[in-house]
Amino acid sequence: MRLRIAYSKMEAARFIAHLDLARVFERAMRRAQIPVAYSEGFNPHPKISFGSALAVGVEGQKEYVDIELRQEMDIREILGRLQEQLPSGIRLLEGSVMAPGSKALMAILNSAGYLIRVPMALPIGPERLREGVQAWLGREHVSYARYTKRGPTEKDIRPWVKRLTAGIEGEEVVLELEVEVGNSGGVRPEEVLASLRELENLPFDLDAARVRRTGIYVQYRGQNYSPLDTAKGPGSKSEAR
Amino acid sequence: MCEQNAAEIRRKVDRFLARVLKPGRYLGAEWNSIHKEWESTRVHMAFAFPDVYEVGMSHLGTRILYHLVNSFPDFLCERVFAPWVDMEARLRENGVPLYALEFFRPLKTFDVLGFTLQYELSFTNVLNMLDLAGIPLRAGERKAGDPWVIAGGPCAFNPEPLAPFIDFFLLGESEEQLPQVLDLVAEQKETPRPRADFLRRVAQVQGVYVPEFYQVSYREDGRLQGIEAEPGVPRVVEKAIVNNLDQAFFPTEPIVPYLEIIHDRMMLEVMRGCSRGCRFCQAGMIYRPVRERSPQTLLGQAEKLVRSTGYEEISLTSLSSGDYSCIRPVVGDILARYGGEWVGVSLPSLRIDSFDVELAAEVQKVRKSGLTFAPEAGTQRLRNVINKGVTEENLMEAVGAAFRAGWSGIKLYFMIGLPTETQEDLDGIADLAAKVLDLGRRLGVRNVRLTVSASSFVPKSHTPFQWEPQEAQASLAQKQQYLKERLRDRRIKYNYHDVATSFLEAVFAKGDRRLADVLEHAYRAGCRFDGWTEQFRYGLWQESFRGLGLDPGFYANRTLDYDDVLPWDHLESGVSKEFLRREHWKALRETNTQDCRFAECTGCGVCPGRGVRIDLKG
Repeated sequence: MRLRIAYSKMEAARFIAHLDLARVFERAMRRAQIPVAYSEGFNPHPKISFGSALAVGVEGQKEYVDIELRQEMDIREILGRLQEQLPSGIRLLEGSVMAPGSKALMAILNSAGYLIRVPMALPIGPERLREGVQAWLGREHVSYARYTKRGPTEKDIRPWVKRLTAGIEGEEVVLELEVEVGNSGGVRPEEVLASLRELENLPFDLDAARVRRTGIYVQYRGQNYSPLDTAKGPGSKSEAR
Repeated sequence: MCEQNAAEIRRKVDRFLARVLKPGRYLGAEWNSIHKEWESTRVHMAFAFPDVYEVGMSHLGTRILYHLVNSFPDFLCERVFAPWVDMEARLRENGVPLYALEFFRPLKTFDVLGFTLQYELSFTNVLNMLDLAGIPLRAGERKAGDPWVIAGGPCAFNPEPLAPFIDFFLLGESEEQLPQVLDLVAEQKETPRPRADFLRRVAQVQGVYVPEFYQVSYREDGRLQGIEAEPGVPRVVEKAIVNNLDQAFFPTEPIVPYLEIIHDRMMLEVMRGCSRGCRFCQAGMIYRPVRERSPQTLLGQAEKLVRSTGYEEISLTSLSSGDYSCIRPVVGDILARYGGEWVGVSLPSLRIDSFDVELAAEVQKVRKSGLTFAPEAGTQRLRNVINKGVTEENLMEAVGAAFRAGWSGIKLYFMIGLPTETQEDLDGIADLAAKVLDLGRRLGVRNVRLTVSASSFVPKSHTPFQWEPQEAQASLAQKQQYLKERLRDRRIKYNYHDVATSFLEAVFAKGDRRLADVLEHAYRAGCRFDGWTEQFRYGLWQESFRGLGLDPGFYANRTLDYDDVLPWDHLESGVSKEFLRREHWKALRETNTQDCRFAECTGCGVCPGRGVRIDLKG
């Protein structure tokens, strides 16, 4: 049976790298004695797959994982037993049995929301902040230099940003960001922050920024859908914990 | 006060942790990590591994001692690893002291800081970690209230270059010795006595070496004159040995890191010690005698390990697991029980002469990997010199069996610069490689991949080759290039190490106390992680030797006399110097010595009078 599970990855668990996360789940499943299915071939791999990678240090409020099991089990029991074996920062939120033929997470996720809290290096007012954000959104192209192994490469990050709002809470700027996620590229929240500072002179203390991905979605005709809903077969319902 | 410090450290580290490489190295909330209460424990120990997390967490001894100390209600043990250079820079620029992972408590607040010395080129990291912790480097500069800085591991058998920095060393196996030491620390903490009194008491524990009680004098030509022990401490310190390995403590709920480490699997220690008697091998001398664990004990431990870790692989570890007398039934039972849960078995080291292709195939049932063999030398003559009792025939049989069983990737491990090596021995390496390829071709193996690794011989203390010099760097480099030419083949991958690194390893392996100043100088000049090619700064080392007027070649490249006083003459592994001398003599006559498990006693000296003997379960 195939399952899709929604979970949060907060606090210290935000430092578990995407590449390590499959192993964390594989071992937790074995400790919980839930039989994961393995691939065939020279080096069998557990059938555990994730959606779009979460950068190290970024919290995830609602992330998803697909897991295939070797036998049928009650989904509530799976969620309960697995939760006990996971690191404290990872909490299972809900899960559902996937309908046969459902597409993998990677293939369907195309939109993500972020909440960013960043202290101000110099105090500014809400007006100045709003102007900066509007000016940035008003640009048709925003060139950003990314440093790769082959040296700096310029790319246009503006097309990936779908929505951006900002407000002030105490000493901090709080931004809400919605971006497009794609196979051909994307934009990272800290790139948007750095660009806002550079192009609009918004005085962000970038090193102290805290980023949380609030959700990741299947967007269709401007509507965000949960990947849990899209995987459900007729008549099945998800189980919350 | 100290809790507040920990909170402050955590807050500061939180700010920059996302911007260092692999933040998981510095977090310490892994599965099965132990978080004990500070106030209700009498002794607080930080176990320090002077290399990065992924290396340190892969080390079985570290895992054993962490869980051993924590198994005592009175003791608390936390961990610290050498921060990688990027993390060090962040710690320094933010004024954050080095902390133990479990609670971010500063190292300075612990009672004991215990280093394990696995490799000579981690010595600068020891100094760097002390400095980052705000602890004075030299024992003489530390005050009451500073932690006791102690060290164990194989390099503690010649720890002289570190003598001024370490309060005392622990020689041998620590399962029984370390708790005794910590009991004394607890007493000292509750009723403090003068430093020297405490050290004299702790020096009575088996295997404890307090360097400041031993005076070393030198001759004019630079050789040692003598080593004098002060009254009240043992004249010669002998290692501690675990008598009953089967009953000894072993952690069955080990930490499961989130970050991938080098040996990321369960470890079952099937036996300790190896008496094959390879004459270059320090581990084969200092961990004698061979003691095995019983299959029942191992299977019980395996069950607990699988349940508590969820790991996908069990490694049966020891110096030579193919020699474990019950290897077949243990591997068979583990696979029968856990193979269905996709738990595999791996054997890290297989000997050519005891290679068992059915066993190897059994092990590969769940997951496949390459096979590694270590002929060590290219000709029978040189293999006799080093007492590697394997023949070319053994190798060809083993490789042939592996090819027929479906393997196509084979690794061969050699050493160059061994005592008495000639051109013929060097050519022997290339010839063996060619024969392996040829055998693969004849057996119809498609895409044979052969990895040939040739490391440079480093003479080590407490071995029959301790009197031997290391070959000069230039000549080793020439040999490496020669082999590179001769191994030019698209099916062969040839690996070798930088010669300067091996040279420095030899200097410190056979060094004396005078090197402490060089070590500190090089460390202050910026040397760290010397075993990591990209961090190794040989120029700074050369400057340090020059600046202090010491010739590194004196240590690495000089042939020692049998009657020279050796810097480690007051430290004993149980294997007698007389035996080592006899073995050296036999080496030069190309004569083999048998393994005492299968033939008569070789008289190495470890068993008599120590209450230990060879303990085989098969």
